[in-house]
Amino acid sequence: MDTPDESPATPAAPPAPRSRWEAVQPWLTLACRVGLAAVLVFAAVSKFPPALSVQAVEAYDLFPVEIAMLIGYTLPLFELALAVLLLAGLATRYVGAVSAILMVLFIAGIVSAMARGLNIDCGCFGGGGQVDPGETTYGLSIARDIAFAAMGAFIAARPRSPFALDRAIGLFR
Amino acid sequence: MGSEARKRSREKLKELREREKRAAKRTKTLIVLGAAAAVVVLIVGVGYAVLNADRRDAGFEGALPPQVLQEDGSVVLAQEGVQAPVVEVYADYQCPACRQFELLNGDVLKQNAADGEAIVHYRPVSIFAQQPVPISSNSLRGGAAARAAAQHGYFVEYNDILFENQPTEGNEGFTVDELKEWYRQTDASAEQEGEFDQRIDEEAAVVTTFTEDYLPALTEDAMAEIGEETLGTMVLSDLIAWGADNGHDPSFLDGTYTGEIITATGTAYTRYSGDNTFRGTPSVYINGELLDNNTAMTVRGLNEAIASADAGEVDTQPMGDGGGAE
Repeated sequence: MDTPDESPATPAAPPAPRSRWEAVQPWLTLACRVGLAAVLVFAAVSKFPPALSVQAVEAYDLFPVEIAMLIGYTLPLFELALAVLLLAGLATRYVGAVSAILMVLFIAGIVSAMARGLNIDCGCFGGGGQVDPGETTYGLSIARDIAFAAMGAFIAARPRSPFALDRAIGLFR
Repeated sequence: MGSEARKRSREKLKELREREKRAAKRTKTLIVLGAAAAVVVLIVGVGYAVLNADRRDAGFEGALPPQVLQEDGSVVLAQEGVQAPVVEVYADYQCPACRQFELLNGDVLKQNAADGEAIVHYRPVSIFAQQPVPISSNSLRGGAAARAAAQHGYFVEYNDILFENQPTEGNEGFTVDELKEWYRQTDASAEQEGEFDQRIDEEAAVVTTFTEDYLPALTEDAMAEIGEETLGTMVLSDLIAWGADNGHDPSFLDGTYTGEIITATGTAYTRYSGDNTFRGTPSVYINGELLDNNTAMTVRGLNEAIASADAGEVDTQPMGDGGGAE
């Protein structure tokens, strides 16, 4: 073409930030990526061994035994995979969205258990005595998951962040 | 060319470039999505294969070794005269983690016992006896029913059925009708079934009295007299003992299986010390040493722990007045 190409083909330095938000936002997204990844790793690892993970799923009384077992075994692995992707910054927008959706599903499960008066916090291992069957922990769990969903949504809305494989491929610059 | 035509051609070029950019972006998006999907499939696929390798699909199918009812209501499953480590299993029938342990490792215990590699000592407890109804009532009814099955020598079979049908915490379960119906799944004779049914009715009444009348009144009184803090440190059987001296007569529990399991639970809390202290269920001990979660809750972990342990001795005597298979 004769007319000069307006967008540079080679990665040059990004244009000077037009506002403070533009300078800060990528780091906020990075913080969300790292934070959410840490949460997902913790969630996955604390459910090991698989028997305990299955027990956690069965507590919601939503699935037949075989499905509960399948979810129990694979959900922590899926959480680990999401964490890896967030840390690597691969498909950032979409992984952020999926993470947010996952949190929303957890919230729905908790609300469903609450409505049916189920006790999802086994309380077996610390057992004995008059332990209040987790009415306080419902609220905490929901609030926590809302915060995590917000982090995922922010990542999906503003995926541009440093140290991301996406940038190497040319996305979300 | 006129300036109009130049403008149009510049605009067309711009459009073309925009479309190319969009197409390039779409391609890049597909690439990252594909790569991300591949990562997910890899991690989930490999992880699942590794974790699943621990689970054994083939269950235990064979003759169970003899079951001997003990003086405290617990049951020992072992070949006669065998020298093997003693594996104590404390479980509450309403406890979801105990159900997972049973589903995962129930057959491991039976296999080891049948092979003479372990002396399995089932010690049902009720850690949920002070929880709100229906959690407490489910727990006590289940425990009493298992004990009733043990009376005729069908504890292990019935234990499995109870855990398979465990009610979700918060739902009413282990109803009288269900408990009786499940006993039909064992090889009990008609006469034994009749005895069992009658005992279930009696125990269910005791559980109802306990959870709906006796315990709430006792707890309220103790809160006022002893205070909530001290109360929180007391084991149920101690609380009942206090109640006996303070106007809450527990004699309706005498001679009942409900009373027996409450006593057994209290004893469990004091039987071990230090790192082995009994804190909750499931608790699996090999020769008096508490196994950690990773060992108890994996097939390989439990098998290896049993294989590497020395021979031990059961700390109870068989029940004097019968019970247990011949």
